[in-house]
Amino acid sequence: MIETIEIKKDLIIPDVKEVMINQGIPKGITIKEDILTISDKAKNFFVPEANPLCIVLELTKEEFEIIYNGEGNNDEESPIKNIFLNSDWLSLYAITLGSEISSRIKQLFSENDFALASMVDSYASVAVDHAVSFLENHFYQRLINKKIANNRSIVFGYSPGYCGWNIESQKKLFRKLQPESIGITLNESCLMTPIKSVTGVLICGDKTIHDFRNNFGFCALCKTESCLERINQIYSK
Amino acid sequence: MNQEESMEILGEISKQLQLGDNEQVKELTIKAIDANINPKIILDNGLIAGMNIIGIQFRNHEIFLPEVLMAAKAMYAGLDLLKPLFIKDEIPSSGKIVIGTVKGDLHDLGKNLVGIMLKGAGFEVIDLGKDVSPENFVDTALKENAKVIGMSALLTTTMPSMKKVIDILETKNLKGKIKTIIGGAPITESYAKEIGADSYAYDASISVERVKYLMEL
Repeated sequence: MIETIEIKKDLIIPDVKEVMINQGIPKGITIKEDILTISDKAKNFFVPEANPLCIVLELTKEEFEIIYNGEGNNDEESPIKNIFLNSDWLSLYAITLGSEISSRIKQLFSENDFALASMVDSYASVAVDHAVSFLENHFYQRLINKKIANNRSIVFGYSPGYCGWNIESQKKLFRKLQPESIGITLNESCLMTPIKSVTGVLICGDKTIHDFRNNFGFCALCKTESCLERINQIYSK
Repeated sequence: MNQEESMEILGEISKQLQLGDNEQVKELTIKAIDANINPKIILDNGLIAGMNIIGIQFRNHEIFLPEVLMAAKAMYAGLDLLKPLFIKDEIPSSGKIVIGTVKGDLHDLGKNLVGIMLKGAGFEVIDLGKDVSPENFVDTALKENAKVIGMSALLTTTMPSMKKVIDILETKNLKGKIKTIIGGAPITESYAKEIGADSYAYDASISVERVKYLMEL
């Protein structure tokens, strides 16, 4: 059954430091006053205009495998396949911050207010990451209560388009989860509108299943290193 | 106004642009126009000169993205005042380039920055946005008589779309006539060579140099 999860906005509002890192400003740099002013303005747009909505749908490994296989274009080897096959629980999810904040970013860019547009974009991007983290923690607690998870378990989200999971899997994911109900649509290139939306699968299992070496074929080209940050998190939890 | 005074205004335009003060740039550009300084000179020695310095500072990590974008806003404030002074179709341009984020990819922040830097360097930029099909890149370059196509991708899964553009150019016997430059987080110099792209830009400021090279400027 598709379930709506409430994500309180207060819990996902990014910290200024996180926004600055998203802007490419390294930690430890003193932020100039005029940049902080833009950050304040961006936050003033973000807070009233970002409206987080979330739906989830628990499913079996067999059901998920159909979605994962998508249109048959995944990389031959992918860490996600091993992770979900060894998992204890799976759920599809979709999160959006709504159309208002995405429209605001577009409008600011079109008015040549690039710095402010980019700053609002950063607030929204970091907030989406926070929303996914919120969801991971929310389900970890729920699964602990249901005794599906234990203190060795981790719940992590994985999304099409990353780690060898082809973005075309979005088509089957959308058919199953129907994120249109919270205003997310998919175009023929499998891109979502509003832009500040994310879909994927939440996978709960022993922490070791989420640990993988970043030496897959596609890893050589990927520079995000977010997987390494997450793997490090596993052992700090 | 003598040459020294003109130089002073142009220098101040460049300085205020670097500070990201769009109001000051607007005022100084009006002052320069009123003083009958040639619009092309205001553009080259004021606005573009300022953006060139911004590009160097950004590359050297002396400034960061927000400062570049504030400077870009200031540049546009000045440029908007100059545009009506150029006869239609004679707006000075270092050359025309079509840019976009490839099909299946919506990450356009880097591409937008490249567009801003290229405009700041005096190029005419046709920005096709994101999720751009290979055919659209080529058709637009042909229609607009652009010399370069710039493609950006963030997702490793969308990178093959860049090769498709190059394949179309080859099929239509346009490779070499329309050059290609690629960039984005997962893109490397070796990937550019592998797919036959003419150039690769590690970041937005480098893209200006590389496009200049491709256009033999």
